[in-house]
Amino acid sequence: MSKRKQIAIYGKGGIGKSTTTSNLSAALSDLNYSVMQIGCDPKNDSTTTLRKGKPIPTVMDTVRSGSNKLDNLVFEGYNGVHCVEAGGPEPGVGCAGRGIIAAIELLDNNGIIDDIDPDIVIYDVLGDVVCGGFAIPIRQGIAEQVYTVTSSDYMAIYAVNNLFKGILKYSGSGGALLGGIIGNSISKISQKEMITDFSEKTETNVIEFVPRSSTVTKCELDGVTTIEGAPDSEQAEVYRQLARNVINNKDSYIPKPFEAQDLADWAASWINNLLKEEKIEHDGIRSGSGEGI
Amino acid sequence: MSLGKKENKIDLSKNTCPNREQRAKGTNVYFGKASELLDEAKEGTLQCSDRKFQQSGGCVLNFYLAVRVSTIRDAAVIFNAPVGCSSSALGYRELYRAVPVELGRPAEYDLHWLTTNLQQNDVVYGASNKLKDAIKEAQTRYNPKAIFILTSCTTGIIGEDIEGTVTEIQPEIDATIVPIHCEGVRSRLVQTGYDAFWHAVLKYLVKKPEKKQKDLVNVASMLSYTWQDRLEIERLLGKVGLRVNFIPEFATVEQFEQLSEAAVTAPICPTYTDYISRGLEQEFGVPYFLYPSPMGIKNTDEWLRRIGKYTDKEEEIEELIKEEHVKWVPKLEEIREQLLNIKEDGTKLNVLGSLGQGRLVSQLPYFDEIGLKSPAAMAQDFDDLLIEELEEVLDTVGDFDIMVNTFQASEQAHVTHKVNPDVALTCPFQGGAWKRDSEITRIHALRGDADPWSAQSGYTGAVAFGNFLLQSLKNKSYQKTMKEKTATGYKDWYLEQPDPLYFLEKGK
Repeated sequence: MSKRKQIAIYGKGGIGKSTTTSNLSAALSDLNYSVMQIGCDPKNDSTTTLRKGKPIPTVMDTVRSGSNKLDNLVFEGYNGVHCVEAGGPEPGVGCAGRGIIAAIELLDNNGIIDDIDPDIVIYDVLGDVVCGGFAIPIRQGIAEQVYTVTSSDYMAIYAVNNLFKGILKYSGSGGALLGGIIGNSISKISQKEMITDFSEKTETNVIEFVPRSSTVTKCELDGVTTIEGAPDSEQAEVYRQLARNVINNKDSYIPKPFEAQDLADWAASWINNLLKEEKIEHDGIRSGSGEGI
Repeated sequence: MSLGKKENKIDLSKNTCPNREQRAKGTNVYFGKASELLDEAKEGTLQCSDRKFQQSGGCVLNFYLAVRVSTIRDAAVIFNAPVGCSSSALGYRELYRAVPVELGRPAEYDLHWLTTNLQQNDVVYGASNKLKDAIKEAQTRYNPKAIFILTSCTTGIIGEDIEGTVTEIQPEIDATIVPIHCEGVRSRLVQTGYDAFWHAVLKYLVKKPEKKQKDLVNVASMLSYTWQDRLEIERLLGKVGLRVNFIPEFATVEQFEQLSEAAVTAPICPTYTDYISRGLEQEFGVPYFLYPSPMGIKNTDEWLRRIGKYTDKEEEIEELIKEEHVKWVPKLEEIREQLLNIKEDGTKLNVLGSLGQGRLVSQLPYFDEIGLKSPAAMAQDFDDLLIEELEEVLDTVGDFDIMVNTFQASEQAHVTHKVNPDVALTCPFQGGAWKRDSEITRIHALRGDADPWSAQSGYTGAVAFGNFLLQSLKNKSYQKTMKEKTATGYKDWYLEQPDPLYFLEKGK
């Protein structure tokens, strides 16, 4: 790869962002790309499944210790994936946003990424872009493409819409643009339809749908990615397809986010559909088949 | 020179430089043998530690960066900060009005100052619009050639996208906008502010050379060296037909733009000049050297020779050195003679000196030259940029104790008490203002006045500085009176501690 691809992955907390990111990194490394994954979340658990469940010291740990030794920030994970955790304060204290700024500045300004020179750098960022710090990866000069992981849950889509506002804001000043939406935890057709409709309304696209799968959960409990723990599973193939799509995706979108009330109105109609579908399922009626009990 | 290391490449695609801690493994807390400091610097194990008790400090923005940038005449400065962060810049006229216009200070030297005065709402909602308004106002009010933006802790913590704002508004603005990342929280080492400034100068202001000016010599002057030093440097280089491009103080924007056209970048203070010198070589092929500075006869000779080499003036420089030696060396010999005779037993006087690390490596050989001994020295900070220079100093003058701290008066008092020198060089920020508990002569290491007797650089400076030291040692009545009239500043139990870093929290 001639030019390094730098992407940032955002999504609401708990939506499967780190799971998706780690599987993406693992799949890309299987495709023989050199990958660096940078966890940008004070929880610093982005890369654990790439490291057999073991946490790594964070960049902010190093800064905090006052050490000027910068050769112990990057750790090797599954299949040579370079793992970094920005780190940050304990919950309820300090400023996590400043932690992200300080960590990324340290990595970027000291040429730590350049020294390793990976083909792809993936920033895995805490979902809600609550302050300037969490917007750092989408600023000029860091990532060029943003992906967002979402389920069909209203609050997850709400967070995506907020992210779109952030991207729109920085789009005029050289910031990253949207590469696409990754639909996650998909188990029903209507969930796909809802996310697709959201992407159409916001003039973006969906790059891949990842189905809900117990294989993922099982592998996570074992401390590994699905790519590592169940390489022959269907789910692993989905992540590999996602990886190929990301590599081949040259498109970038300036999203057109909903206004808050419009988003609620749009969602209301879809939630009704989903609820109806759930009710049908619950009552034992298989939708669309025409068969009753 | 400790250069050529891979990590030392300057990357102008970045918004700013790494901080000094990361770039050069710097520290501002150390006490021990200079040889041990050197070893630690080589190993890269120096680090900043916390103190349980700290007296004062300077920040990346306000340790003179603000004042220096304010001197650039056809520019305006925006402090993107709460109003208090710009307070030190307001002392600018006080600082420079003592320099007479006849000596070259511009008659019109108003402060071109704006602040975004960030408030609660700006912190909560972001302040990019306020910055845009300030930029527009700066353009209208001052019609400058450049607008410098000085960032602050506040913009750093909330993660303001300064470059984004600049990219957006630059097309509407005639002046070149130059954002400088001097957020105080970035670094404990004030040198980071200078690196950040030079990074921005290189990234936004310096133009590709239209023509090379073989007679132009870049000198990054600090006015903690004096106005007389500028005049001396101009005098010496002028004699061989060279022109000096002094930056940043009282430079024009055009002088920054043409930094790339000079024949060489020469140092006064290597720690201050390092980043711009390397950047100019890397980007535009302007050669440079970092050592020696023109302090003392031997170092001035060497400094001139290096410049001569890059400007094809080697013969003229040798002539100049010869000519200057005839006039000044006997005077310095006389001073040396007198200094050696002050003590009745004929032993050398002890001086506790220096200020920044740059001055550390240039001043000690000078003291040696004039017959003074330096059993200990002080510096505000130290990092691995000056490893070879310190090594050379150790070879010349032997090992000595070194105290590294920024503005910790009590630690300086401790060292002064322990070393008990005949003369201590210090400055008010650094501890010179504390009450004297001995008759040690204390003189200001940072004499910013424009009087010829305050000069330190070049040949006239070597003689002036020597005379100044001599005068201060000849008459001790001032020290006597001060001792009688003022009480001791610190309690005995502290001064009796073996380690001046008594309050240091080791490993923190």
